[in-house]
Amino acid sequence: MALDMAKYRLIFLEEGGDHLEEIGRALIDLEKEMGSTTAIDTLFRMAHSLKSMAASLGYDPIADLAHRMEDRMEGIRADGRVRSDQELALLFRSLEALEKMVEAVASEQVPVGANEELFQLLAEEPLADDSDCSDDREVESPDRVGGEPKKARP
Amino acid sequence: MARVLIADDASFMRQMIREIIEPEGHEVVGEATNGIEAVDLYNELTPDLVTMDIVMPKRSGIDAAKAILAEHPSACIVMCSALGQETLVMEALSAGARDFIVKPFKPDSVIATLSKLAEKTSD
Repeated sequence: MALDMAKYRLIFLEEGGDHLEEIGRALIDLEKEMGSTTAIDTLFRMAHSLKSMAASLGYDPIADLAHRMEDRMEGIRADGRVRSDQELALLFRSLEALEKMVEAVASEQVPVGANEELFQLLAEEPLADDSDCSDDREVESPDRVGGEPKKARP
Repeated sequence: MARVLIADDASFMRQMIREIIEPEGHEVVGEATNGIEAVDLYNELTPDLVTMDIVMPKRSGIDAAKAILAEHPSACIVMCSALGQETLVMEALSAGARDFIVKPFKPDSVIATLSKLAEKTSD
């Protein structure tokens, strides 16, 4: 049987946009409290859900990045906290990449994959807590850290 | 044909399962958006079959499945898993879940799994 994928594309843009907003809010909460269990769980679930929806529609670049983000969140969940400012910045950067990809889908373009460096950083072991040396960042914080998350719409 | 409860926090996935199974004659009697709702709706509706997502808010699909099976050992629960959740699937199967379907869903595979279980539950 064949499913009406045009219909699911619209649902993806609506629900995926909501998920990205939730990720943005969770990251802002994590800026304030790196051990927020609620924010960590939300981020994990949203990345997981985005992965499944994107994979269902064949949006592999979105599914791949969401999968890497989910894996990263699994480690954070196991440790009970975001482990450094760099790690938080990396998650913000991943969100921005996901937003760009979903925006491409909304514009009926093919989403382009995240760059390999971002994939590698997400896969790397977390850095030690940098709370005392936050000026020495290896991952540049995006401009939007602490800003309002964007939302892609159909 | 089976009366089915769909438990998934993503509307996208709930609609997809519904669209796949209803043409086969299965009746979707309820939709749960989290693990707590899944347990409550199971008790209220006593469906023939449950599709249970593993990752859900408030109570995970694994916990919800275990809670249902503790009260209803013959409950027929199919776990909905994704890549990388093999360990959780095994945990659910050990707890008494009957089978699993993998996201992204392949309609023919979902139909085959649910129809096979529906036949068994009607025996």
